[in-house]
Amino acid sequence: MRLPDSVTGSFLVALGAAAAYGGWILPPVPGQPVGPNVFPLVIGTGLALCGLAIVFGIGHSFEEEEELIPFEDGQAATPPPQGKLYGLRALLPPALLLFYVFAADRLGFIITAAIMVYVTSAALGAKWKLALPLAALSPFAIHLIFGKLLRVPLPAGLLPTPW
Amino acid sequence: MLKTLIDAFALISTWEVIIAMFAASVYGLVIGSLPGLSATMATALLVPVTFYLSPIAAIATIVAASSMAIFSGDIPGALLRIPGTPASAAYADEAYAMTRKGQAELALGAGVWFSAVGGIAGVLSLMILAPPLAEIALSFSTFEYFWLALLGLMCATLVARSSPVKAIAGMFIGLLVSCIGIENPGGIPRFTFGITDLFGGIEPIPALVGVFAVAQVMRAMLTPEPPPLPRRKFGSIMAGQWKLTKLYHWQMTRGNIVGIIIGVLPGAGADMAAWVSYAMSKRFSKEPEKFGTGHVEGLVEAGASNNASIASGWVPSLLFGIPGDTIAAIAIGVLYMKGLNPGPTLFTEKASSMYAIYLMFIIANILMIPLGIAMIRVAAYILLAPRSTVMPIIMLCCAVGSFAIGNNMFGVVTVAAFGVIGYVMEANGYPVAAMVLGIVMGTMVEQAFVTSLIKSDGSILPFFERPVAAILAAMAIGALLWPVMVWIWRKMKPLQTATATSR
Repeated sequence: MRLPDSVTGSFLVALGAAAAYGGWILPPVPGQPVGPNVFPLVIGTGLALCGLAIVFGIGHSFEEEEELIPFEDGQAATPPPQGKLYGLRALLPPALLLFYVFAADRLGFIITAAIMVYVTSAALGAKWKLALPLAALSPFAIHLIFGKLLRVPLPAGLLPTPW
Repeated sequence: MLKTLIDAFALISTWEVIIAMFAASVYGLVIGSLPGLSATMATALLVPVTFYLSPIAAIATIVAASSMAIFSGDIPGALLRIPGTPASAAYADEAYAMTRKGQAELALGAGVWFSAVGGIAGVLSLMILAPPLAEIALSFSTFEYFWLALLGLMCATLVARSSPVKAIAGMFIGLLVSCIGIENPGGIPRFTFGITDLFGGIEPIPALVGVFAVAQVMRAMLTPEPPPLPRRKFGSIMAGQWKLTKLYHWQMTRGNIVGIIIGVLPGAGADMAAWVSYAMSKRFSKEPEKFGTGHVEGLVEAGASNNASIASGWVPSLLFGIPGDTIAAIAIGVLYMKGLNPGPTLFTEKASSMYAIYLMFIIANILMIPLGIAMIRVAAYILLAPRSTVMPIIMLCCAVGSFAIGNNMFGVVTVAAFGVIGYVMEANGYPVAAMVLGIVMGTMVEQAFVTSLIKSDGSILPFFERPVAAILAAMAIGALLWPVMVWIWRKMKPLQTATATSR
């Protein structure tokens, strides 16, 4: 997901310009010299200037590359396979959170949580012998803590909890 | 004073506070010792739980969990060469070298002992520094508050390890996020795009959980799992610590002082304290050649420093509502939620609560020694837990915890969105801590800015007229222009050298 500085900088210029314009068109407060429009205008301008500085490489020389500590005695973890779509795996956690938003009310907390846990665990390389019991038990434990003890209203859906 | 202290004792000696503190300590120790899960993340995930606790119990959990997590980050650092929290990264190599030399007990013992000493030094600084600073702060007007808040934001960008321009951009993004909603000088919907859920603005806590926890799970999806810990039996953990204290008392004191100073600076937290102290220890050591080969001196200084910064980071948080670090940023959210609004008047109106916070810090640091020793002994088992069992539970906690904040699903959407934002920012060298500070402090900065502008009738001059405001303004503007000046200076230097050689 590493993008060239010119791309991220240009995005910030566009975002800053949009924020400044958004602030500009906000209605002022009658009889008051400053209103809700001033702050977004200042921030938008600042953001756009930062974006320009990044595009032109100002401050780039300060960046420190993250050091990777090598493991010894051949413990080195194998590098992950680099397929074309490999990077998209990173989007799985936010996708599962959105799945929770849409499914929790219909399926209920236990079923939705079990699916989330199983998919995440399997994606991180767990065998089904580990992922399945984890998916079966952890939603009940979380429900006990949040739903029962902390009284967070978790949807029952298709499978109500025994308590 | 004595009555306040007795009141404070009464506040913390309830079963709720004692149980909350003990449970949070164990939780902090476990999360901090798991590589990749930072102290900030431990604290962020704890916030939904604090909703259901009394104000003092809520603060107790934050204090205990953050102190313990910063220490227990040393455990996988020493045993696996994988720092549990970024604050332990500075000396993980050194501690691991000691383990390889068969001195794991000494390294881990130094971690727990000097962390506790540093933590207590940090509390003393909080007790001594905060009240006189509160007196000064009472004379501050909105002009001073505006510059102070801006300086806090700028400090966060100055200490970032990435490009300062990117850090400033991150801060602006955070301030932009804080603009969303109807809480503004005109009370009109701003950047809501007609979405009713956005009218209330973006809550800092789901944003924090997103950038610190979800983004971490996202990174785990692409990185290989660290190797498991080899099983081993430990001898006495605390043996030899008193000898080390006597031998390195000056290093320990210096670590405490540096930690306190860095903690008080807004934006610079335990990570920075550990890095600076370790570097300083090596610089002033009589045996610098031993560093990196398993020498305990740096561990003493940096271990004391990072824990000292945790307590002193509460000084700007309690006085001005300006977080000393990301953990304090979360603590501010909890303080507001529990009616303990940060500000100088907190020290006069809620003095017993203040003393209760001091006492809780002291207790947490004393509790750290027995619990820390127990944790070191069970670490071998906890570190065996594969990432594929820990990360799914964290994901689930993110979903349920963010839902619990407002009992609506928008919190979960916010967490997911900020997970992606945090991941993309981090991958491209934009520090997320700067953005988080922007979100937390945005409303305060805008309020101080707009109120000052209204008072000055739109003129900029009064921002510089009061002496304290002028000094703070000079510092903030200097920090803002510093990267540009260094860039120009570096550009000029090769030009001068080129002209000199052509002559």
